[in-house]
Amino acid sequence: MKHTHKTCGSPEHLLHRRLFLQGTMAASAASVASFNGLFSVPALADETKRQGKKCILLWLCGAPSQFETWDPKPGTPFSGPFGAIPTNLPGVQISSLMPKCAGIMDKLAVIRSMSTEPGEHFQGIDVLTRGDKPRQPFIRPILGSVVAEQLGHLDSPVPQFILLDPCPEGNEFKGFKAGNWAGWLGAQYGPVRAGGEYSIPNLNKLDTISDIDHQDREALRSFFSKKYENDRRSQAAGSLNAAFDRVKGLMSCAPLFDLNSLPETDRQRYGAGAFAQHALQARHLIENGSTFVMVANGMPWDNHVFQHEMHQMLVPELDNVLYQLVTDLEDRGMLEDTLVIAMGEFGRSPWLNEARGRDHYPKAWSMAMAGGGIRGGVVHGATDPLGHEVAEDAVDNRQLFATIFAALGIDPHEEYDLPDLPTFLRVEDGVAPIQQLLV
Amino acid sequence: MFLPCRYFIGTFLTASVLMMHASRAAEPSEGSGDLFPVAKINDFVSQAWEERGVQPAARCDDRQFVRRVYLDLAGRVPTIEEADAFANDPQTDKRAALVDRLLASEDYPQHFADLFDALLMGRTNEGKYKQRANSGWRKYLEDVFRNNRPWDEVAAEVLLARPEDKAKRGSVWFLYERNDQHQAIAEAVAPAFFGIRIECAQCHDHMVVNEIEQAHYWGLVAFFNRSKNAKTKEGLRVAESAIGGFSDFANLEGDSTPNLLTFLGASTVDEPRPAGDAKQEDSDDLYVATSAEPANRIPKFSRRQRFVEDVLRDHPLLARSMVNRLWAIMLGRGIVHPFDEMDSVHPPSHPELLDWLAAEFAESNYDIRSLVRSLALSDAYQLDSRQPVGVDDPASFAWYLERRLTGEQLARSIQLIAEGKFTNDAELIKQFRQQISDVLPDETVVGVDDTLFLTNGPGLDHYLRSSRDKAGLLAELNGIESHRQRAERLFQSVFLRAPDVDETEAVVDYLNARNDDLPAALQQVLWSMINSAEFQFNH
Repeated sequence: MKHTHKTCGSPEHLLHRRLFLQGTMAASAASVASFNGLFSVPALADETKRQGKKCILLWLCGAPSQFETWDPKPGTPFSGPFGAIPTNLPGVQISSLMPKCAGIMDKLAVIRSMSTEPGEHFQGIDVLTRGDKPRQPFIRPILGSVVAEQLGHLDSPVPQFILLDPCPEGNEFKGFKAGNWAGWLGAQYGPVRAGGEYSIPNLNKLDTISDIDHQDREALRSFFSKKYENDRRSQAAGSLNAAFDRVKGLMSCAPLFDLNSLPETDRQRYGAGAFAQHALQARHLIENGSTFVMVANGMPWDNHVFQHEMHQMLVPELDNVLYQLVTDLEDRGMLEDTLVIAMGEFGRSPWLNEARGRDHYPKAWSMAMAGGGIRGGVVHGATDPLGHEVAEDAVDNRQLFATIFAALGIDPHEEYDLPDLPTFLRVEDGVAPIQQLLV
Repeated sequence: MFLPCRYFIGTFLTASVLMMHASRAAEPSEGSGDLFPVAKINDFVSQAWEERGVQPAARCDDRQFVRRVYLDLAGRVPTIEEADAFANDPQTDKRAALVDRLLASEDYPQHFADLFDALLMGRTNEGKYKQRANSGWRKYLEDVFRNNRPWDEVAAEVLLARPEDKAKRGSVWFLYERNDQHQAIAEAVAPAFFGIRIECAQCHDHMVVNEIEQAHYWGLVAFFNRSKNAKTKEGLRVAESAIGGFSDFANLEGDSTPNLLTFLGASTVDEPRPAGDAKQEDSDDLYVATSAEPANRIPKFSRRQRFVEDVLRDHPLLARSMVNRLWAIMLGRGIVHPFDEMDSVHPPSHPELLDWLAAEFAESNYDIRSLVRSLALSDAYQLDSRQPVGVDDPASFAWYLERRLTGEQLARSIQLIAEGKFTNDAELIKQFRQQISDVLPDETVVGVDDTLFLTNGPGLDHYLRSSRDKAGLLAELNGIESHRQRAERLFQSVFLRAPDVDETEAVVDYLNARNDDLPAALQQVLWSMINSAEFQFNH
């Protein structure tokens, strides 16, 4: 089926009145964005149901330990120095490193029975951000691209999918980031990336050019370039023009990327680190029209060495950030429509290696969600007393993604179909969402 | 025809791929047309059109051809004069003559050195680019293309990294820049010289590509893991030890395997392994000759040398991967796509053509220039770039696939238009190669970061502004009589064609509105054209 869209995505033609180009600007020119997105347009009823749903993904790259976060095992040989503390859910305990989240467990949904396949970062990141392992011949879009395409507004000046990651360099995550994010949806659904400066390079107009020249020369450029694109039905030119079309909108929201514009008290509440500041910025962007913000911080969680010390540094920050984010969204009346997800690509081993680190462990691990169609106060699934195996209600990546899509009002089972090619589904094999987690 | 017995045939390599040619041309060729008969390339491609019921695009006209071939072979657009001279040349074989002239020009080694630096080494920061120049690597690459050196010799020099004369000192840099990171070396060697990616086989046999095993990954690492960077009196060297480098690798199930000297498509190189934890003693008699400089000692059993002689030499993928990459450079995508994933998951679109080209390439003494020449003169290369209606598959090569200009191509072409000449180490080149890093991307995707750079980056603006003062295009335009003629001149310079009525009108209207500051207005018009798809793409 061919995808059509309510908005054709064509830009308002920025023409100074002195220019008489309107006559030559084919008003009926083909849409600038080449929509090779392929899911059908949702029915109107669906549209209203999920209006305004948004998502923040706190991507804990490198993979945090479930034992020092959501699934502590006090008194076991490898439990480490941190105890477990009670929460505001009777009978539920989490790591003593997370006292703030312990006070809002009634708003969180924790899955303690994640069980996935890949045990290496690159493949793990791939499966847990796209929802499934690679399958030829298409590249599955990343969660943010799907949500931006389904729920976002392509003609909004505010980027619909933003990746905040201060560490462009460095590790398996870097390699992953260099890949194709939007997959079969097409590049216009890829993220806008803002890095260590908390902003986007070249976002501000040069002083050497006036506003009017800035507009006029782009109008001219667009005229020449779209003529070429339309004459040839050129997808390559379409990609260039779509990217130029986004410049003005992005420039207009430059202030959104200025952290200094946010209240100092907020900045202090979240904390000084890049991860915390980016989480605050994510809230700010969502409040101002973004649909999906992915907050990453390089790959700090991969603690094969001295994992207790590392987690002692990292978990309290996560605890605070998650607490601030969930309570802020609730105070603003946005929690119901904003899904917050906190997870990495797998868990850590229930035993310590010789360097007192925990190694990769995809077999049994934990993740957390809140808001946006997810039921609060739920702890789903369990592991055995030592955390070696899932003891009940194992959840794999497909069930997780089906649940996330359902919570956001996106049909998990929609098909992607092209003649003579295998059929792809948003979630393969008709895997169902976990009803217990849905509002 | 003979098959060196050290190859066992993986299922993905058809027997014909492994047809080895023992005989070598005695003299390196200067690039002759009969090595890769153009008619034969055309037959393979047109036969596939027929079989697939594809109606290819028409042949491109001279104006399209001249811009296209300058960009692809010389890394820049032609000047108006060059384009006119070609268009007005009455000779029937002028396309072949132009291809020959470009391949003999200094632009060709510069452009191909740009491409291959990015493909073999990856993009990097300006500090590293300086090191690539200082180490002689850049010059070495230029020499490869300028002197049309056989690719198998180049591969062997780069991987052995023992330059015998000063002129080749840069050959060590491929290994040296990777700074004793032996896994990074292996992960770079595989796509650079074999056209495959092995990163996925680090922890387990490749999950999708059956023939790529974890043993190949760690085997390739082992060939290089006795190597160590050294600064010697003779210059930079990659020293090699005669001992060490034995370990076991574990798969996800925890089974461990010794890292034997083995790689895809070649048999394992024998090497005695010390028992268990036995300590090896290093001593002079393990080396060919003692040298005052330990870094220059050559082990009697050199793993790098074994790799070059027992694995690399005549390896079927060495010719096959280079042929596929050159095809991708000239035709916009590989016969196997992506061009550096030549494995069983990515079958070639034209298997017989690829087999034949690879065999010819090995036979021709790995003659790069002759192959590039034949590709440039093939029918598929000379098709119009408009996608014909009803033809969807780019792998049919039924139209010339548009491609985005690389950072260097853009910066050179902009300089040439604005100043009438260009310098390769201009600031503009540095700015553009830092921002626009794609070389042979799998698909054309322009990011908003690039368009922000072109819109608000100080580099391009500053450069165009400064060309107002020079005897460059903007100054010249200022001196022209009418807006209409200015529009005409701009279109000839930037797009190598006359403007149509609409386009002339748009420019004239704009300039009329900006008579208050004509130099600034002309600069903005130039900006708008340089950033239009017609200039940003090769078509």
